[in-house]
Amino acid sequence: MPPELDVIWRNLDYLLWGRMAQGEPGGLLLSVLIALASGVLALVGGIALAVLAWFSSGLLRRVLFVWADLIRGIPLIFVIFWVYFLVPALFGGAIPGTVSVILALAWFSAAAVMYSTLSGLEALSGGQREAALSTGLSEMQTLFVVLLPQALVNLVPSYVSLFASLIKDTSLAFIVNVPELTMVASQVNNRTQLYPTTIFLFTAALYFVLCGGLSLLVRKIMRRPVAASWD
Amino acid sequence: MGFSVDFAGVLSGPPLHWLVTGFFTTIVVTIAASVLASLLALLLLGLRISDNRPARTIAAGIIELFRNTPFLVQMMFWYFAAFGLLPSGIRDWINADHSWATLPGNIPLVSPEFIASTWGLGMFSAVFIAEEIRAGLLALPKGQSEAALSQGFGHWASLRHVLLPQALTNSFQAVVGQYLNLMKLSSLATAIGLAEITYQVRQIESYNSHAIEAFAVGTGLYLLLGLAMGRLMLAFAPKRRDGRRGAEAGHAA
Repeated sequence: MPPELDVIWRNLDYLLWGRMAQGEPGGLLLSVLIALASGVLALVGGIALAVLAWFSSGLLRRVLFVWADLIRGIPLIFVIFWVYFLVPALFGGAIPGTVSVILALAWFSAAAVMYSTLSGLEALSGGQREAALSTGLSEMQTLFVVLLPQALVNLVPSYVSLFASLIKDTSLAFIVNVPELTMVASQVNNRTQLYPTTIFLFTAALYFVLCGGLSLLVRKIMRRPVAASWD
Repeated sequence: MGFSVDFAGVLSGPPLHWLVTGFFTTIVVTIAASVLASLLALLLLGLRISDNRPARTIAAGIIELFRNTPFLVQMMFWYFAAFGLLPSGIRDWINADHSWATLPGNIPLVSPEFIASTWGLGMFSAVFIAEEIRAGLLALPKGQSEAALSQGFGHWASLRHVLLPQALTNSFQAVVGQYLNLMKLSSLATAIGLAEITYQVRQIESYNSHAIEAFAVGTGLYLLLGLAMGRLMLAFAPKRRDGRRGAEAGHAA
Protein backbone atom coordinates (compact mmCIF):
# COMPACT_ATOMS: atom_id res chain seq x y z
CA MET A 1 0.00 0.00 0.00
CA PRO A 2 1.43 3.44 -0.87
CA PRO A 3 2.52 5.29 2.29
CA GLU A 4 0.00 8.10 1.62
CA LEU A 5 -2.87 5.64 2.00
CA ASP A 6 -1.17 3.60 4.68
CA VAL A 7 -1.22 6.62 7.03
CA ILE A 8 -5.03 6.68 6.76
CA TRP A 9 -5.30 2.91 7.12
CA ARG A 10 -3.15 2.82 10.25
CA ASN A 11 -5.07 5.68 11.88
CA LEU A 12 -8.50 4.77 10.56
CA ASP A 13 -9.94 3.53 13.85
CA TYR A 14 -8.57 6.60 15.67
CA LEU A 15 -10.10 8.96 13.08
CA LEU A 16 -13.45 7.17 13.13
CA TRP A 17 -14.03 6.55 16.83
CA GLY A 18 -10.96 7.67 18.81
CA ARG A 19 -10.17 5.70 21.96
CA MET A 20 -13.52 3.96 22.01
CA ALA A 21 -11.96 0.80 23.50
CA GLN A 22 -10.87 2.82 26.57
CA GLY A 23 -14.36 4.27 26.86
CA GLU A 24 -13.43 7.66 25.36
CA PRO A 25 -15.25 8.12 22.06
CA GLY A 26 -13.48 10.49 19.67
CA GLY A 27 -13.06 11.28 15.99
CA LEU A 28 -16.06 11.13 13.69
CA LEU A 29 -18.15 9.31 16.31
CA LEU A 30 -17.65 12.12 18.84
CA SER A 31 -18.46 14.76 16.19
CA VAL A 32 -21.76 13.01 15.47
CA LEU A 33 -22.53 12.57 19.19
CA ILE A 34 -21.88 16.28 19.86
CA ALA A 35 -24.03 17.26 16.88
CA LEU A 36 -26.89 14.98 18.01
CA ALA A 37 -26.83 16.17 21.63
CA SER A 38 -26.65 19.87 20.77
CA GLY A 39 -29.13 19.36 17.92
CA VAL A 40 -31.78 17.92 20.26
CA LEU A 41 -31.21 20.72 22.80
CA ALA A 42 -31.30 23.40 20.09
CA LEU A 43 -34.47 21.98 18.54
CA VAL A 44 -36.37 21.80 21.82
CA GLY A 45 -34.99 25.12 23.07
CA GLY A 46 -35.46 26.91 19.76
CA ILE A 47 -39.09 25.79 19.38
CA ALA A 48 -39.79 26.76 23.00
CA LEU A 49 -38.32 30.23 22.35
CA ALA A 50 -40.38 30.56 19.17
CA VAL A 51 -43.54 29.73 21.12
CA LEU A 52 -42.53 32.30 23.74
CA ALA A 53 -41.93 34.92 21.03
CA TRP A 54 -45.26 33.99 19.37
CA PHE A 55 -47.23 34.77 22.53
CA SER A 56 -45.19 37.68 23.80
CA SER A 57 -45.24 41.23 22.59
CA GLY A 58 -43.34 44.38 23.34
CA LEU A 59 -40.32 44.15 25.59
CA LEU A 60 -39.98 40.37 26.00
CA ARG A 61 -40.25 39.81 22.25
CA ARG A 62 -37.64 42.49 21.62
CA VAL A 63 -35.31 40.99 24.22
CA LEU A 64 -35.60 37.60 22.50
CA PHE A 65 -34.67 39.05 19.12
CA VAL A 66 -31.80 41.15 20.48
CA TRP A 67 -30.48 38.02 22.21
CA ALA A 68 -30.70 35.99 19.00
CA ASP A 69 -29.04 38.73 16.92
CA LEU A 70 -26.28 39.13 19.48
CA ILE A 71 -25.51 35.41 19.42
CA ARG A 72 -25.45 35.41 15.64
CA GLY A 73 -23.41 38.62 15.55
CA ILE A 74 -20.33 37.21 17.25
CA PRO A 75 -18.11 34.40 15.98
CA LEU A 76 -19.20 30.93 17.16
CA ILE A 77 -15.73 30.43 18.61
CA PHE A 78 -16.50 33.22 21.11
CA VAL A 79 -19.76 31.59 22.15
CA ILE A 80 -17.69 28.47 22.92
CA PHE A 81 -15.13 30.54 24.87
CA TRP A 82 -17.86 32.17 26.91
CA VAL A 83 -19.47 28.89 27.92
CA TYR A 84 -16.09 27.27 28.52
CA PHE A 85 -14.80 30.02 30.83
CA LEU A 86 -17.90 31.67 32.21
CA VAL A 87 -19.83 28.61 33.36
CA PRO A 88 -17.03 27.45 35.71
CA ALA A 89 -16.50 31.02 36.92
CA LEU A 90 -20.19 31.39 37.75
CA PHE A 91 -20.96 27.97 39.15
CA GLY A 92 -17.56 26.86 40.39
CA GLY A 93 -15.93 23.68 39.19
CA ALA A 94 -14.83 23.12 35.62
CA ILE A 95 -17.12 21.45 33.13
CA PRO A 96 -15.71 18.99 30.60
CA GLY A 97 -14.77 20.53 27.23
CA THR A 98 -17.26 18.31 25.42
CA VAL A 99 -20.15 19.48 27.59
CA SER A 100 -19.26 23.14 27.10
CA VAL A 101 -19.11 22.66 23.33
CA ILE A 102 -22.50 20.93 23.33
CA LEU A 103 -24.03 23.77 25.37
CA ALA A 104 -22.42 26.45 23.19
CA LEU A 105 -23.54 24.85 19.92
CA ALA A 106 -27.04 24.34 21.33
CA TRP A 107 -27.20 27.96 22.44
CA PHE A 108 -25.97 29.23 19.07
CA SER A 109 -28.27 26.97 17.02
CA ALA A 110 -31.34 27.57 19.19
CA ALA A 111 -31.36 31.14 17.88
CA ALA A 112 -31.48 29.85 14.29
CA VAL A 113 -34.19 27.30 15.16
CA MET A 114 -36.24 30.09 16.79
CA TYR A 115 -36.05 32.22 13.64
CA SER A 116 -36.96 29.35 11.28
CA THR A 117 -39.82 28.18 13.48
CA LEU A 118 -41.29 31.67 13.73
CA SER A 119 -41.06 32.19 9.99
CA GLY A 120 -42.62 28.74 9.48
CA LEU A 121 -45.52 29.75 11.74
CA GLU A 122 -45.92 33.07 9.97
CA ALA A 123 -45.87 31.38 6.56
CA LEU A 124 -49.11 29.52 7.35
CA SER A 125 -52.08 31.39 6.03
CA GLY A 126 -53.88 33.58 8.53
CA GLY A 127 -57.06 31.71 7.72
CA GLN A 128 -55.74 28.71 9.64
CA ARG A 129 -55.56 30.69 12.84
CA GLU A 130 -58.91 32.41 12.36
CA ALA A 131 -60.64 29.15 11.53
CA ALA A 132 -59.20 27.48 14.61
CA LEU A 133 -60.18 30.38 16.86
CA SER A 134 -63.70 30.48 15.41
CA THR A 135 -64.24 26.81 16.26
CA GLY A 136 -63.78 27.83 19.88
CA LEU A 137 -60.17 26.82 20.42
CA SER A 138 -58.13 29.07 22.69
CA GLU A 139 -55.01 30.88 21.40
CA MET A 140 -52.93 28.26 23.19
CA GLN A 141 -54.82 25.33 21.63
CA THR A 142 -54.71 27.01 18.23
CA LEU A 143 -50.94 27.15 18.34
CA PHE A 144 -50.28 23.70 19.74
CA VAL A 145 -53.03 21.71 18.00
CA VAL A 146 -53.43 23.51 14.68
CA LEU A 147 -50.52 25.79 13.75
CA LEU A 148 -47.41 24.17 15.23
CA PRO A 149 -48.03 20.65 13.86
CA GLN A 150 -48.41 22.02 10.32
CA ALA A 151 -45.44 24.37 10.63
CA LEU A 152 -43.18 21.63 12.02
CA VAL A 153 -43.92 19.34 9.09
CA ASN A 154 -43.10 22.15 6.63
CA LEU A 155 -39.96 22.98 8.58
CA VAL A 156 -38.36 19.52 8.41
CA PRO A 157 -36.08 20.49 5.47
CA SER A 158 -34.82 23.62 7.18
CA TYR A 159 -34.20 21.73 10.43
CA VAL A 160 -32.20 19.11 8.50
CA SER A 161 -30.09 21.88 6.88
CA LEU A 162 -29.46 23.38 10.29
CA PHE A 163 -28.33 19.97 11.51
CA ALA A 164 -25.87 19.71 8.60
CA SER A 165 -24.42 23.10 9.62
CA LEU A 166 -24.23 21.84 13.17
CA ILE A 167 -22.12 18.86 12.08
CA LYS A 168 -19.71 21.25 10.36
CA ASP A 169 -19.68 23.52 13.42
CA THR A 170 -18.61 20.68 15.72
CA SER A 171 -15.14 21.14 14.15
CA LEU A 172 -14.78 24.25 16.34
CA ALA A 173 -14.55 21.99 19.41
CA PHE A 174 -10.93 21.79 18.27
CA ILE A 175 -10.39 25.15 19.96
CA VAL A 176 -10.99 23.73 23.45
CA ASN A 177 -9.10 20.49 22.75
CA VAL A 178 -12.09 18.17 22.43
CA PRO A 179 -10.90 15.12 20.42
CA GLU A 180 -13.54 15.29 17.68
CA LEU A 181 -12.71 14.58 14.03
CA THR A 182 -10.89 17.83 13.17
CA MET A 183 -8.83 17.75 16.37
CA VAL A 184 -7.93 14.09 15.88
CA ALA A 185 -7.00 14.71 12.23
CA SER A 186 -4.67 17.54 13.18
CA GLN A 187 -3.12 15.33 15.89
CA VAL A 188 -2.45 12.62 13.33
CA ASN A 189 -1.01 15.27 11.01
CA ASN A 190 1.31 16.61 13.73
CA ARG A 191 2.47 13.11 14.63
CA THR A 192 3.19 11.90 11.10
CA GLN A 193 4.15 15.27 9.53
CA LEU A 194 4.47 13.68 6.08
CA TYR A 195 1.07 13.37 4.47
CA PRO A 196 -1.08 16.42 5.29
CA THR A 197 -2.82 16.29 1.89
CA THR A 198 -4.17 12.76 2.34
CA ILE A 199 -5.10 13.33 5.97
CA PHE A 200 -7.07 16.52 5.40
CA LEU A 201 -8.67 15.30 2.17
CA PHE A 202 -9.84 12.16 3.97
CA THR A 203 -11.18 14.25 6.86
CA ALA A 204 -13.00 16.55 4.45
CA ALA A 205 -14.41 13.50 2.67
CA LEU A 206 -15.90 12.17 5.93
CA TYR A 207 -17.67 15.47 6.60
CA PHE A 208 -18.72 15.67 2.95
CA VAL A 209 -20.40 12.27 3.02
CA LEU A 210 -22.38 13.21 6.14
CA CYS A 211 -23.36 16.77 5.17
CA GLY A 212 -23.72 16.07 1.45
CA GLY A 213 -25.98 13.13 2.34
CA LEU A 214 -28.14 15.39 4.49
CA SER A 215 -28.43 18.05 1.77
CA LEU A 216 -29.48 15.35 -0.72
CA LEU A 217 -32.12 14.32 1.80
CA VAL A 218 -33.34 17.93 2.04
CA ARG A 219 -33.63 18.14 -1.73
CA LYS A 220 -35.60 14.91 -1.80
CA ILE A 221 -38.04 16.12 0.86
CA MET A 222 -38.46 19.49 -0.83
CA ARG A 223 -39.26 17.93 -4.20
CA ARG A 224 -42.07 15.88 -2.71
CA PRO A 225 -45.26 17.94 -2.49
CA VAL A 226 -46.01 18.72 1.14
CA ALA A 227 -48.23 15.95 2.50
CA ALA A 228 -51.64 17.56 2.74
CA SER A 229 -53.15 15.20 5.27
CA TRP A 230 -54.79 18.06 7.14
CA ASP A 231 -56.95 19.53 4.41
CA MET B 1 -17.83 31.04 42.96
CA GLY B 2 -17.30 34.64 42.09
CA PHE B 3 -14.66 36.44 40.11
CA SER B 4 -13.53 40.02 39.90
CA VAL B 5 -13.33 41.94 36.68
CA ASP B 6 -10.24 44.02 35.97
CA PHE B 7 -10.00 45.58 32.54
CA ALA B 8 -6.69 47.32 33.29
CA GLY B 9 -4.91 44.01 32.70
CA VAL B 10 -6.28 43.95 29.16
CA LEU B 11 -6.40 47.59 28.14
CA SER B 12 -2.82 48.58 28.96
CA GLY B 13 0.75 47.51 28.22
CA PRO B 14 1.44 44.61 25.81
CA PRO B 15 -2.16 43.27 25.87
CA LEU B 16 -3.49 46.58 24.56
CA HIS B 17 -0.86 46.61 21.82
CA TRP B 18 -1.77 43.02 20.86
CA LEU B 19 -5.47 43.85 20.73
CA VAL B 20 -4.87 46.85 18.48
CA THR B 21 -2.72 44.91 15.99
CA GLY B 22 -5.17 42.00 16.19
CA PHE B 23 -8.09 44.31 15.40
CA PHE B 24 -6.14 45.80 12.50
CA THR B 25 -5.20 42.33 11.19
CA THR B 26 -8.84 41.21 11.29
CA ILE B 27 -9.84 44.28 9.29
CA VAL B 28 -7.08 43.80 6.71
CA VAL B 29 -7.70 40.07 6.20
CA THR B 30 -11.46 40.72 5.98
CA ILE B 31 -10.98 43.34 3.26
CA ALA B 32 -8.47 41.24 1.30
CA ALA B 33 -10.63 38.11 1.51
CA SER B 34 -13.80 40.07 0.62
CA VAL B 35 -12.21 41.38 -2.58
CA LEU B 36 -10.99 37.89 -3.47
CA ALA B 37 -14.39 36.36 -2.59
CA SER B 38 -16.18 38.86 -4.84
CA LEU B 39 -13.96 38.03 -7.83
CA LEU B 40 -14.18 34.27 -7.27
CA ALA B 41 -17.95 34.50 -6.74
CA LEU B 42 -18.35 36.24 -10.10
CA LEU B 43 -16.25 33.55 -11.76
CA LEU B 44 -18.18 30.70 -10.09
CA LEU B 45 -21.54 32.30 -10.84
CA GLY B 46 -20.49 32.79 -14.47
CA LEU B 47 -19.60 29.11 -14.77
CA ARG B 48 -22.68 27.96 -12.83
CA ILE B 49 -25.16 29.78 -15.09
CA SER B 50 -23.30 29.53 -18.39
CA ASP B 51 -24.93 27.68 -21.29
CA ASN B 52 -22.04 25.21 -21.34
CA ARG B 53 -22.91 21.98 -19.55
CA PRO B 54 -19.39 20.87 -18.46
CA ALA B 55 -18.73 24.34 -17.02
CA ARG B 56 -22.01 24.20 -15.07
CA THR B 57 -21.20 20.72 -13.75
CA ILE B 58 -17.69 21.71 -12.62
CA ALA B 59 -19.00 24.82 -10.83
CA ALA B 60 -21.78 22.82 -9.16
CA GLY B 61 -19.21 20.25 -7.99
CA ILE B 62 -16.94 22.92 -6.49
CA ILE B 63 -19.91 24.55 -4.76
CA GLU B 64 -21.11 21.26 -3.22
CA LEU B 65 -17.60 20.41 -2.06
CA PHE B 66 -17.06 23.71 -0.27
CA ARG B 67 -20.55 23.93 1.20
CA ASN B 68 -20.48 20.49 2.73
CA THR B 69 -17.12 20.56 4.52
CA PRO B 70 -16.22 22.62 7.61
CA PHE B 71 -14.36 25.86 6.99
CA LEU B 72 -11.79 24.96 9.64
CA VAL B 73 -10.84 21.78 7.76
CA GLN B 74 -10.56 23.74 4.50
CA MET B 75 -8.30 26.27 6.18
CA MET B 76 -6.06 23.52 7.57
CA PHE B 77 -5.95 21.89 4.18
CA TRP B 78 -4.76 25.14 2.51
CA TYR B 79 -2.21 25.86 5.22
CA PHE B 80 -0.77 22.43 6.03
CA ALA B 81 -1.28 20.61 2.72
CA ALA B 82 -1.73 22.94 -0.26
CA PHE B 83 1.03 25.33 0.79
CA GLY B 84 3.49 22.43 0.86
CA LEU B 85 2.48 21.48 -2.69
CA LEU B 86 3.63 24.84 -4.06
CA PRO B 87 7.02 24.87 -5.84
CA SER B 88 9.79 25.41 -3.28
CA GLY B 89 10.89 28.65 -4.97
CA ILE B 90 7.48 30.24 -4.31
CA ARG B 91 7.40 28.88 -0.75
CA ASP B 92 10.83 30.32 0.02
CA TRP B 93 9.79 33.67 -1.40
CA ILE B 94 6.62 33.73 0.74
CA ASN B 95 8.57 32.74 3.85
CA ALA B 96 11.24 35.40 3.34
CA ASP B 97 11.06 38.82 4.98
CA HIS B 98 9.10 41.41 3.05
CA SER B 99 9.51 44.80 4.69
CA TRP B 100 7.58 46.44 1.83
CA ALA B 101 4.56 44.22 2.52
CA THR B 102 4.55 44.64 6.29
CA LEU B 103 1.95 46.95 7.77
CA PRO B 104 2.63 49.05 10.86
CA GLY B 105 2.38 46.92 14.01
CA ASN B 106 4.39 44.19 12.27
CA ILE B 107 1.53 42.68 10.25
CA PRO B 108 3.11 40.76 7.35
CA LEU B 109 0.90 40.52 4.27
CA VAL B 110 3.17 38.06 2.48
CA SER B 111 3.25 35.17 4.93
CA PRO B 112 1.87 31.63 4.74
CA GLU B 113 -0.68 32.47 7.48
CA PHE B 114 -2.03 35.60 5.81
CA ILE B 115 -2.13 34.10 2.32
CA ALA B 116 -3.75 30.84 3.44
CA SER B 117 -6.34 32.73 5.52
CA THR B 118 -7.19 35.14 2.72
CA TRP B 119 -7.44 32.37 0.14
CA GLY B 120 -9.40 30.05 2.43
CA LEU B 121 -11.88 32.75 3.48
CA GLY B 122 -12.18 34.05 -0.08
CA MET B 123 -12.85 30.65 -1.61
CA PHE B 124 -15.35 29.57 1.09
CA SER B 125 -17.33 32.81 0.98
CA ALA B 126 -17.28 32.98 -2.83
CA VAL B 127 -19.26 29.74 -2.98
CA PHE B 128 -21.96 31.09 -0.66
CA ILE B 129 -22.12 34.51 -2.33
CA ALA B 130 -22.46 32.90 -5.77
CA GLU B 131 -25.28 30.68 -4.49
CA GLU B 132 -27.15 33.61 -2.90
CA ILE B 133 -27.05 35.55 -6.18
CA ARG B 134 -28.12 32.46 -8.11
CA ALA B 135 -31.04 32.04 -5.71
CA GLY B 136 -31.96 35.65 -6.54
CA LEU B 137 -31.85 34.76 -10.24
CA LEU B 138 -33.99 31.66 -9.78
CA ALA B 139 -36.58 33.70 -7.90
CA LEU B 140 -37.17 35.97 -10.91
CA PRO B 141 -40.34 35.25 -12.89
CA LYS B 142 -39.68 33.21 -16.03
CA GLY B 143 -41.22 36.02 -18.12
CA GLN B 144 -38.19 38.21 -17.43
CA SER B 145 -35.73 35.95 -19.24
CA GLU B 146 -38.26 35.12 -21.98
CA ALA B 147 -38.92 38.82 -22.57
CA ALA B 148 -35.18 39.56 -22.73
CA LEU B 149 -34.55 36.69 -25.15
CA SER B 150 -37.48 37.71 -27.34
CA GLN B 151 -36.04 41.24 -27.51
CA GLY B 152 -33.00 39.70 -29.17
CA PHE B 153 -30.69 39.70 -26.13
CA GLY B 154 -28.27 36.74 -26.08
CA HIS B 155 -27.61 34.56 -23.02
CA TRP B 156 -24.98 36.86 -21.50
CA ALA B 157 -26.57 40.15 -22.60
CA SER B 158 -29.88 39.22 -21.00
CA LEU B 159 -28.06 38.30 -17.81
CA ARG B 160 -25.97 41.44 -17.77
CA HIS B 161 -28.72 43.97 -18.58
CA VAL B 162 -31.95 42.40 -17.39
CA LEU B 163 -31.59 39.50 -14.98
CA LEU B 164 -28.50 40.12 -12.82
CA PRO B 165 -29.44 43.67 -11.73
CA GLN B 166 -32.78 42.37 -10.45
CA ALA B 167 -31.21 39.28 -8.88
CA LEU B 168 -28.66 41.44 -7.04
CA THR B 169 -31.41 43.66 -5.70
CA ASN B 170 -33.32 40.61 -4.49
CA SER B 171 -30.36 38.93 -2.85
CA PHE B 172 -28.55 42.00 -1.53
CA GLN B 173 -29.43 41.42 2.12
CA ALA B 174 -28.34 37.79 1.97
CA VAL B 175 -25.08 38.71 0.22
CA VAL B 176 -24.30 41.30 2.92
CA GLY B 177 -24.88 38.52 5.44
CA GLN B 178 -22.22 36.42 3.70
CA TYR B 179 -19.62 39.21 3.91
CA LEU B 180 -20.45 39.62 7.62
CA ASN B 181 -20.03 35.88 7.98
CA LEU B 182 -16.63 36.10 6.32
CA MET B 183 -15.55 38.64 8.93
CA LYS B 184 -16.74 36.40 11.78
CA LEU B 185 -15.14 33.31 10.22
CA SER B 186 -11.78 35.09 10.11
CA SER B 187 -11.69 34.27 13.85
CA LEU B 188 -10.89 30.67 12.86
CA ALA B 189 -7.63 31.80 11.24
CA THR B 190 -6.28 31.66 14.78
CA ALA B 191 -6.08 27.87 14.25
CA ILE B 192 -3.31 28.37 11.67
CA GLY B 193 -1.61 31.13 13.65
CA LEU B 194 -2.82 34.35 12.01
CA ALA B 195 -2.44 36.99 14.73
CA GLU B 196 -5.96 38.43 14.47
CA ILE B 197 -8.35 39.37 17.31
CA THR B 198 -9.10 35.83 18.50
CA TYR B 199 -5.43 34.86 18.49
CA GLN B 200 -4.53 37.92 20.57
CA VAL B 201 -7.38 37.32 23.00
CA ARG B 202 -6.07 33.79 23.63
CA GLN B 203 -2.55 35.18 23.97
CA ILE B 204 -3.74 37.56 26.70
CA GLU B 205 -5.47 34.67 28.43
CA SER B 206 -2.19 32.74 28.69
CA TYR B 207 -0.17 35.92 29.44
CA ASN B 208 -2.03 37.17 32.51
CA SER B 209 -5.12 34.91 32.61
CA HIS B 210 -7.55 37.84 32.28
CA ALA B 211 -9.66 35.51 30.15
CA ILE B 212 -13.12 36.94 30.84
CA GLU B 213 -12.04 40.56 30.27
CA ALA B 214 -10.16 39.65 27.09
CA PHE B 215 -13.17 37.73 25.74
CA ALA B 216 -15.43 40.67 26.59
CA VAL B 217 -13.23 43.08 24.66
CA GLY B 218 -12.90 40.62 21.75
CA THR B 219 -16.68 40.12 21.64
CA GLY B 220 -17.17 43.88 21.63
CA LEU B 221 -14.69 44.35 18.79
CA TYR B 222 -16.45 41.76 16.59
CA LEU B 223 -19.87 43.28 17.31
CA LEU B 224 -18.51 46.74 16.49
CA LEU B 225 -16.94 45.54 13.24
CA GLY B 226 -20.14 43.74 12.27
CA LEU B 227 -22.27 46.84 12.89
CA ALA B 228 -19.86 49.08 10.97
CA MET B 229 -19.64 46.67 8.04
CA GLY B 230 -23.40 46.18 7.93
CA ARG B 231 -24.02 49.94 7.91
CA LEU B 232 -21.37 50.54 5.26
CA MET B 233 -22.66 47.84 2.91
CA LEU B 234 -26.34 48.76 3.31
CA ALA B 235 -25.43 52.29 2.20
CA PHE B 236 -24.66 50.74 -1.17
CA ALA B 237 -27.94 48.81 -1.34
CA PRO B 238 -29.45 49.05 -4.82
CA LYS B 239 -32.63 51.11 -5.04
CA ARG B 240 -35.78 49.27 -5.95
CA ARG B 241 -38.02 50.76 -8.56
CA ASP B 242 -40.63 51.50 -5.89
CA GLY B 243 -38.06 53.67 -4.14
CA ARG B 244 -37.41 51.35 -1.21
CA ARG B 245 -33.88 50.22 -0.59
CA GLY B 246 -33.39 46.61 -1.62
CA ALA B 247 -32.21 45.70 1.81
CA GLU B 248 -35.28 46.91 3.62
CA ALA B 249 -37.59 44.86 1.48
CA GLY B 250 -36.26 41.52 2.72
CA HIS B 251 -36.68 40.07 6.17
CA ALA B 252 -34.12 41.15 8.71
CA ALA B 253 -31.46 38.43 8.45
